[in-house]
Amino acid sequence: MRKVAIVGMGTTKFKARWLDKTYYELAFDAGKMAMEDAGINRKQIDCAVYGIYNDFFQRQYQPDAFVHDYLGLGLKPMVRVNSGGATGGSALRIGYAEVASGLYDICLVLGVEKCNDCYNYEVQTTTPEVLRAILYTADMTYDNPAGRTAASGFALAVIAHMKKYGNPTEEQMAKVSVKNHMNATKNPIAQSPKILTIEDVLNSRKIVEPFKFYDNCLYTEGSSAVILASEAVARELTDKPVWITGVGASADYVMPGNRPNIYTFESSRQAAKRAYQMAGIKDPIKELDLAELHDAFTGTEIMAYEDCFFCEEGQGGSLIDNETVMPYGKLPVNLSGGLIGCGHAVGATGIMQTYEVALHLRDEAGERQLKNARRGLVQSIGGTLCTWTVCLVLERED
Amino acid sequence: MNRAEREKWYEYHSGKEGIPVEYLKRDFEDELSGKNAMDDPLEIPDKMDVIYKYSYGQQSRFFRELRENKKIYGAKCNQCSKVYCPPRATCSFCYEPTEWVPLEGTGIITACTVQYFTTSAFIKKLPFICAYIKLDGTNFIMMTNIEAKDVSQIDVGTRVKAHFREERHGAITDVYFKPIEQE
Repeated sequence: MRKVAIVGMGTTKFKARWLDKTYYELAFDAGKMAMEDAGINRKQIDCAVYGIYNDFFQRQYQPDAFVHDYLGLGLKPMVRVNSGGATGGSALRIGYAEVASGLYDICLVLGVEKCNDCYNYEVQTTTPEVLRAILYTADMTYDNPAGRTAASGFALAVIAHMKKYGNPTEEQMAKVSVKNHMNATKNPIAQSPKILTIEDVLNSRKIVEPFKFYDNCLYTEGSSAVILASEAVARELTDKPVWITGVGASADYVMPGNRPNIYTFESSRQAAKRAYQMAGIKDPIKELDLAELHDAFTGTEIMAYEDCFFCEEGQGGSLIDNETVMPYGKLPVNLSGGLIGCGHAVGATGIMQTYEVALHLRDEAGERQLKNARRGLVQSIGGTLCTWTVCLVLERED
Repeated sequence: MNRAEREKWYEYHSGKEGIPVEYLKRDFEDELSGKNAMDDPLEIPDKMDVIYKYSYGQQSRFFRELRENKKIYGAKCNQCSKVYCPPRATCSFCYEPTEWVPLEGTGIITACTVQYFTTSAFIKKLPFICAYIKLDGTNFIMMTNIEAKDVSQIDVGTRVKAHFREERHGAITDVYFKPIEQE
């Protein structure tokens, strides 16, 4: 396999509603930014991988075809990837393979999502209808009729973890929310920058036991893109390549009845293990400088500390209590603000997380720049109780 | 658009998307009466809709038994003897066919939570309980709603029993579960 580098990247702002853009117009903006950052034009792109999650959100089946057309990439090969919340991570994995295999030299990996065109006219808000669109991803015969949302699925896992290990406590989860909203205040693209107290989180309205409003990420519209290139091309294009040195992925049984337990996400453990193995990482807490973990919910960020082997199984809550994951801690998690602070534009999310880590590795993260950032982890998860996980290890040149 | 044109627009969209006219008026009267500038983003009501005559395939008997006989059936693997519910025609581990076995309809909660917020389709049911239960005689868990007088009484380990709706449609919602103690 050939070495693969990120040689360009771009992202739109993550916000609740891009009223003045359609999904392909939004994708165009991110794609253009990434090409400009790489110093290339559309003609130099060899192939594209698009991460777009929900056709109902976009009000369009096969939306990738329209993105490709709008970007002026006609006649170049492309493929669209969809793995729920892990769509962005999966798109990067496929893009990596396109270049590493030697099939293509320059690959555009672009994620986009516009969810908030979905709208409930009765209550005059978007979210219940967004959730209705998402519910079509639950097993239509047995799960969908029970009205289970993504939040309640993950709540069941967090409750199972609490019952087995006594954590995460509601206070530990609140601390994660405070951290991620706070981190977002330094990220110019973030949707939800906020200075909150633990009490603010604990007193916010209940969504699903044990999650309160501020324990949840928000639904976001946005687009993020990176340009991947082979080593030879990367050397020509940039003196700040960000190398993808580890790629791990796993897809678990979607029917939780076929799993031994739900208090840990085995797909996440497998994906992290594989990514570390490939990157030669033995002790992640020492060898990683930062991580962007998929914090769709505060409780699942804490579970991810364990599933990414930052601590022993069952010890996740301690890493927020002892401040390991704070911006000034030993292994800062979600300096972007994560899904909770920066936002969750589903197909774009994994690419936004990658953008964030790469920004730090390029010393371009501005006010929130982590000093001496050399190696970072991206974790992208999705599906019923974490069906999919993709983990990427990114490293700077020297 | 003038008043008459607007009324026609409301009638058309109400029919097409099934949105009550009063709701459409709330959201579109400003736009249709010319309050927005020509270059402002223009929003429209729309809907994606497909009608099915869906086949349950090899799981058909499961739903007929629910509808006709108020019985829950599992699917037992001929090789490993594990019992699936929800059923499947072949064991996904042995790749062998399964056979139908009647279940008692009792079971135990393995995970549960209370939902206070949900999708458009379920908003009138709030708050409600979503749980994974393991039916007696099976080796897998299934998602279901639990109906209970006091949601705080429901926990992992609570024993539950199947109840059947008076009016059954041949869907998983023909059956629901209640804690045994509360009967």
